[in-house]
Amino acid sequence: MSIQDSRADMLARMRSRLGRNAAQDAEAAERVAAALRAPVPAPRPPLPADLTACFIERALSMQSTVARISVMHEVPQACADYLARTCLPPTAVVWPQIAALDWAGAGIEVVARAAQGEDLTGITGSFCALAETGTLVLCSGPDSPATVSLLPETHIAIVDASRILAGMEEAFALLRREAGGVPRSLNFVSGPSRTGDIEQTIVLGAHGPSRVHLVVVG
Amino acid sequence: MQIQSMHFKARVTDKLADSVLQDNLRKTKSKFVGKRAQAIQELPEFEATREAARAIRDRVLNDLDHWLLAFEQEASRRGATVLWARDGDEVCRLVLEIAARHDCRKVVKSKSMLSEESGLNQALEAAGVVPVETDLGEYILQLNDNEAPSHIIAPVFHKSKEEVSELFARRHGTPRKTDITALAREAREQLRPQFLSADMGISGGNFLIAETGSVALVTNEGNGRMCTTVPRVHVAITGVEKIVPTLEDFATLMRLLPRSATGQSISNYVSLLTGTRGEQESDGARHMYFILVDAGRVDLVHGEFQEMLRCIRCGACMNHCPVYQTVGGHAYGWVYPGPMGSVLTPLFQGLERAIDLPNAATMCNQCGVVCPVKIPLPDLLRKLRTKQIELKLRPWSERMAIRLWAWVAARPALYAWLAARGARYLKWLAGERAYIDMLGIAPGWTSTRAFPAPQGKTFRELHAEQAKAATRGAHH
Repeated sequence: MSIQDSRADMLARMRSRLGRNAAQDAEAAERVAAALRAPVPAPRPPLPADLTACFIERALSMQSTVARISVMHEVPQACADYLARTCLPPTAVVWPQIAALDWAGAGIEVVARAAQGEDLTGITGSFCALAETGTLVLCSGPDSPATVSLLPETHIAIVDASRILAGMEEAFALLRREAGGVPRSLNFVSGPSRTGDIEQTIVLGAHGPSRVHLVVVG
Repeated sequence: MQIQSMHFKARVTDKLADSVLQDNLRKTKSKFVGKRAQAIQELPEFEATREAARAIRDRVLNDLDHWLLAFEQEASRRGATVLWARDGDEVCRLVLEIAARHDCRKVVKSKSMLSEESGLNQALEAAGVVPVETDLGEYILQLNDNEAPSHIIAPVFHKSKEEVSELFARRHGTPRKTDITALAREAREQLRPQFLSADMGISGGNFLIAETGSVALVTNEGNGRMCTTVPRVHVAITGVEKIVPTLEDFATLMRLLPRSATGQSISNYVSLLTGTRGEQESDGARHMYFILVDAGRVDLVHGEFQEMLRCIRCGACMNHCPVYQTVGGHAYGWVYPGPMGSVLTPLFQGLERAIDLPNAATMCNQCGVVCPVKIPLPDLLRKLRTKQIELKLRPWSERMAIRLWAWVAARPALYAWLAARGARYLKWLAGERAYIDMLGIAPGWTSTRAFPAPQGKTFRELHAEQAKAATRGAHH
């Protein structure tokens, strides 16, 4: 048999094992369609009263660092403060989506593009954030390249407090509502990259950023 | 990967005598167990979520053909190419065809156990394509002359940091490092140029989501993101059983997977990858392929071992298995060790080639208790044992002994009489010490430890005596 026949062969063997007749097969197709139309509810952990406080607490426990400011135009200065405090140069690659903020006013030299290997700091926005696990939700797109949160050693992310949601389910609902579905690359990021492969001892800084700093606005 | 499971007993003897391995196992054995216990305490809904997860996996497996078609339709609509492979050889052929079509010379790989099953690295090398493993554990193994992984989520579970340090110094030509952070740093620096220069990224898939045609990757290191974001071509290789219906179902399973695996509430990077780079986008793969693999899975659908297809590859069963923790993963002789491996290896590779694996279990059911999708692992192991007897794969004497036992056990009076004689005989054999140093009929049991002798009365005799005493007490 040629490799083109593999699909037909695998499906045929599944069908013969499942042993359905034509009517039962139609029922199976309908079961699948129904489950896709209306997700089956599952147990959820209780919602925290204060989503922002919960998000910050969990993010800290995942070794992110957090700064809280009140309005968006303070973001560049908060980033500049963090870079100075961490002894990093005031340069960054940023999402085109946030390029219009007054970075020069805070003394940060930015380029808006996908990240390259040598970029030291990447600054991104976020689609939303999750209180349950202290997680950033990042969507790839022309104005939000995925590499900016991945290649640089330091990742700074802006989180709009009004978009801190309870958990993944709310993020998926928001994606369906605002974006009509999932982007090419949807990333849930919870703190700096790490590995536990050697002696099951977790150390920070594997292939992704070794520092994740969250600027929570509002 | 060439199966070695038929040599299980000899391999176990080697592993028990390997003092370095024994030290390493002792050092790490409780870490995953403790972290998992803590992580599930933080989720009071853990048990209810396990039940929901079991239902999600069953929902898919009961209509697997239709779920695969739904996935294929959506993945294709988003620009990915969906391919099907019946076995490891077909996986290798498809990957090589893709590599040739897109002129790929270097491949970076995120962890994929199916690639281990298929012997993909050897096939790539033979065709002149350079495979680079990027998961730290897998990278260490590749550096050590393509050593096999010993754990499905912690491939170098069997190695100490000193061994890794020695290997890095030798292969990288760098000064020896003793600190794990420094070792991880060194791997990062070695692998970064590989990511940036690779033409193709190969990943496994923790889940395939039918609703969106996406593959979900769960990693801590970020290598999964690297492999699927930087190179031009992304190939995801997964078993057909990895389908999950909806995004909500995926969210439910994600409450269990990291907690059961590493004891984390969530892994650092959970990525859903769907289709190819849009025209306006400046990064991401331009070509995306899925290879949906059978390799023994289809034959389990709607059969007595279907429950095994629920497995989400967390590793909790091996972390809690007294056998795995004593002999390590390499003793099992194929890709999947521990209880899940002792079920999967005979089913995928043939019972006759893994004859000892279903017996390499104490039936303590720790694995069944911790399994996030409630796979009754001891029951499945017992079914395999029954099959071994039915297929006459066990020695004649063992089959006879079991048949004799069954005959006696089905006759309660005879059983009671024989058990009472046996208990008295063993008590007499042990004498004053109450331990037997050498048991004639089962010398293996006493070769490394003494056998505690019965007290002289059977459980049924003691129970009868107590019941009698109780009745007498009630009369007074």
